[in-house]
Amino acid sequence: MTQPQDLPKEAGHRLEELEHGLFTSDLSVNEFLLIKEAGFHPLGFVMGSSIYHTGIQARRWSKSQELTKLTEAMYNARELAMTRMEEEADQLGADGVVGVRLDVNYYEWGRDAAEFIAVGTAVKAEDGTSHRNKLGKPFTSDLSGQDFWTIMQTGYVPQGLVMGTCVFHIAHRGIGQTLGTVGQNVELPNFTQALYEARELAMTRMQDEANTLEATGIVGVRLEEKSHQWGSHTIEFLSLGTAVTKSAGDVTLPKPITVISLDN
Amino acid sequence: MVASGPPDTGDVDPDPGATGPQGDLPEAAGRRLASGSFSSGLTVPDFAACLQMGLRPVGLVQGFCVMQWGWYGAGSQYMRGMTPFGFGGDAPRGVYSESYSCPHGGFAYSNEHRIWGQNYQQPWVEAAWAQGFGSAYSRMVEEAGAVGAHGVIGVVDTTRHLADMNVTEFHILGTAVVVEGAAAPPGATPWTTYLAGQRLAKLVEAGYMPMSVVAALASVRVWAYCVTEMLMEGTLSRFGGNYLPVSEVEQLSRAHMAARSLAREHVRSQLGNDTLQGALIVANTQSLAQGDEVIECALRGTRVRRFKDFDPMDAPRPTVRLS
Amino acid sequence: MTEPIDLRAEMRLAADSLGKPAHDPPSRAVTSDLSVDEGLLLHSIGWEAVDVVFGASVVSIPPMVWTWGSGEIAPASDAHNQAVRGAAKTLGEQCSHVRGHGVVGVRVEVDVQRHHVDVELTGTAVRPVRGKDPNRAFVSDLSARDFTLLHNAGWAPIGLAFGASFVYAPRRSMGTTMRQSSQNVELTNFTEAMYAAREAGMEHMQRSALDMGAQGIVAVRVSEGPMWFANHAIGFTAWGTAVRLEAESHQYLRPEVILPLDDAVVEFEAQSLR
Repeated sequence: MTQPQDLPKEAGHRLEELEHGLFTSDLSVNEFLLIKEAGFHPLGFVMGSSIYHTGIQARRWSKSQELTKLTEAMYNARELAMTRMEEEADQLGADGVVGVRLDVNYYEWGRDAAEFIAVGTAVKAEDGTSHRNKLGKPFTSDLSGQDFWTIMQTGYVPQGLVMGTCVFHIAHRGIGQTLGTVGQNVELPNFTQALYEARELAMTRMQDEANTLEATGIVGVRLEEKSHQWGSHTIEFLSLGTAVTKSAGDVTLPKPITVISLDN
Repeated sequence: MVASGPPDTGDVDPDPGATGPQGDLPEAAGRRLASGSFSSGLTVPDFAACLQMGLRPVGLVQGFCVMQWGWYGAGSQYMRGMTPFGFGGDAPRGVYSESYSCPHGGFAYSNEHRIWGQNYQQPWVEAAWAQGFGSAYSRMVEEAGAVGAHGVIGVVDTTRHLADMNVTEFHILGTAVVVEGAAAPPGATPWTTYLAGQRLAKLVEAGYMPMSVVAALASVRVWAYCVTEMLMEGTLSRFGGNYLPVSEVEQLSRAHMAARSLAREHVRSQLGNDTLQGALIVANTQSLAQGDEVIECALRGTRVRRFKDFDPMDAPRPTVRLS
Repeated sequence: MTEPIDLRAEMRLAADSLGKPAHDPPSRAVTSDLSVDEGLLLHSIGWEAVDVVFGASVVSIPPMVWTWGSGEIAPASDAHNQAVRGAAKTLGEQCSHVRGHGVVGVRVEVDVQRHHVDVELTGTAVRPVRGKDPNRAFVSDLSARDFTLLHNAGWAPIGLAFGASFVYAPRRSMGTTMRQSSQNVELTNFTEAMYAAREAGMEHMQRSALDMGAQGIVAVRVSEGPMWFANHAIGFTAWGTAVRLEAESHQYLRPEVILPLDDAVVEFEAQSLR
């Protein structure tokens, strides 16, 4: 076994034990059964983490603009965590990782530092066919066991968890500007444009990642907005989704039967 | 006063000089939508259902509008008794307003005795809200039209008030889809719906076609008169020194009903003979002082139309889960 | 079992219908706050939504009733009961006005303040497709789903059963407080006050149901506790839907047993410790 260059030694030891057939997983029993139903076997719980110091960037009071330095920091930190998780999965010989969760933790000891964590369950196809993505890496996805089974029934296969981010500073408005329109509810085209652009940038970057994976599309896109610790005028727009590719085969999902549950 | 799709853009553009994103999508959006792969805001089960019913997702589409959101508070613009319709005046036809006057003989016991009270609709607030929602909506539909979509499903709209910036942001997004094998919608204007997934499939199976999301806000201002104030604040009646007994505060009950009924009427006026499905009603009361209030009621839902005969579904099987 | 429906064809048909005039349109617009599922369930028993209806009532509570006294705070209980009755009456009238048979899925919003009670009810008026106009409309906080199940079992809702009661929790004398400060003892006067409030509230609710000719009350929900503006006043409210057996006898549903494989979905959440 080749030791990946990027992982701490302790991780290697834990993973070695997993190679002897024991699997660990944070999947529920239902999810475990559905992963098996989809033709996969869980290999182990994998994770990646990166503690990242985010730099400071000057903001101009009255100008709406992207803070590229912060954008890069947020992106690189998540990317590092994800890559480390992928390396762990790779080491286990996994085809992919399901149920990926990305978290950001702030600790008291590090102002302007944050820990970015990615965790998930590595899985491998039982029939030995490779389900790795176009880059030859295990696919990643934030799909639950149920979602994973469902997407496989539609003839699409996950390629990777893709994301795009954009940290944007929204301009403060000068007194003069505010007074001019007092008592009226009117559109502020500059604000509209700024918020529009910030979200579009995040989404475009996500889409670019999907294109790199030669994906057909992205499902379950979520747009999140966080101010983290920067004050209300600086917002991170984060866009996330699972890139999928249409594989051979049609939708095999049967039409659901209608039931009415008498459970509470 | 009412926003729905497709909104009459001639009506909602207050400042033709402003170069908003209308008709002018940001560069990034154009690039994103032009790229080969689609993005979709649907969950996996909704995505699966969408494929099952022959809908092909083409992209996530969205629209924004940021409005300055002024404050119509007590005394900021109108003095007590001075309504936007003139001193103690009545609203124009078609605008709700009703006046209340002091039953204590019309005698002013003190400057603070409120001999006048009024409930009235605030069409200018309603119009501003409709403009914000309508602009965001039409931008989303524009994006959808630009990618050749037939419809937009799983629409989510949010209205966020950024208090420290004194602005309100309207944001609408959804997943644009093409109905495989179907003709383009009339006027090439995509239809829209809050529904997605199996819920949409069930709606279609039941014989309804979604047409557009519909939303409206009604706003009613309450200026309390003496009786309302005494009842709401528990002040001593100055007539015989008794407290007023348990009794209905008619002015407020009527204002609450008016706000809701107005919202319903605004939406109704957009429905023709169609059905509003899955209405969501959010009422919000802001207390200003001594019975003075602003009541806002937002109502939204999907306008749907029947396209085939009524055919009740089979009764579902009642089940009990064993886990 | 009918032929499985071709959803794709159905969707195409629906999309192509947009250019054509409406098929058998209702005489006036219909509004409904029911979900698709609820709408379909109603259809399965031959009922349909008519209109969203509202009832609101604000009733004043005279001053100084909360602070001192003993037993039930009658003006507060009366005000609450009156506000609910008033709002439910308006709701029923709106329902009758649009020729509905009753209101289902009533959402109840109550705000009790020192000087007033504010009750707001929202629901959807429903009726049997092509049914006759009823004598009297029912009001029920049961969901359309629950209404359908009850209907299938032969039962019908007849109205909203409600009871409110507010009582004083007596203060302990200074001496008693001192004596009890280091002991484990039951605070009997509090226990009694809670009992009294519950009893009176339930009693109000049951009486309102009996007045309607109900055989039972289902889905009773209670809320209780001290009022935030008056620690020594305890409020108790009870809500439910009064029901009556309409069929000859109870119809058994005979459910099937299933084993679902679904969990609550694990949602992504970035936690920021601000």
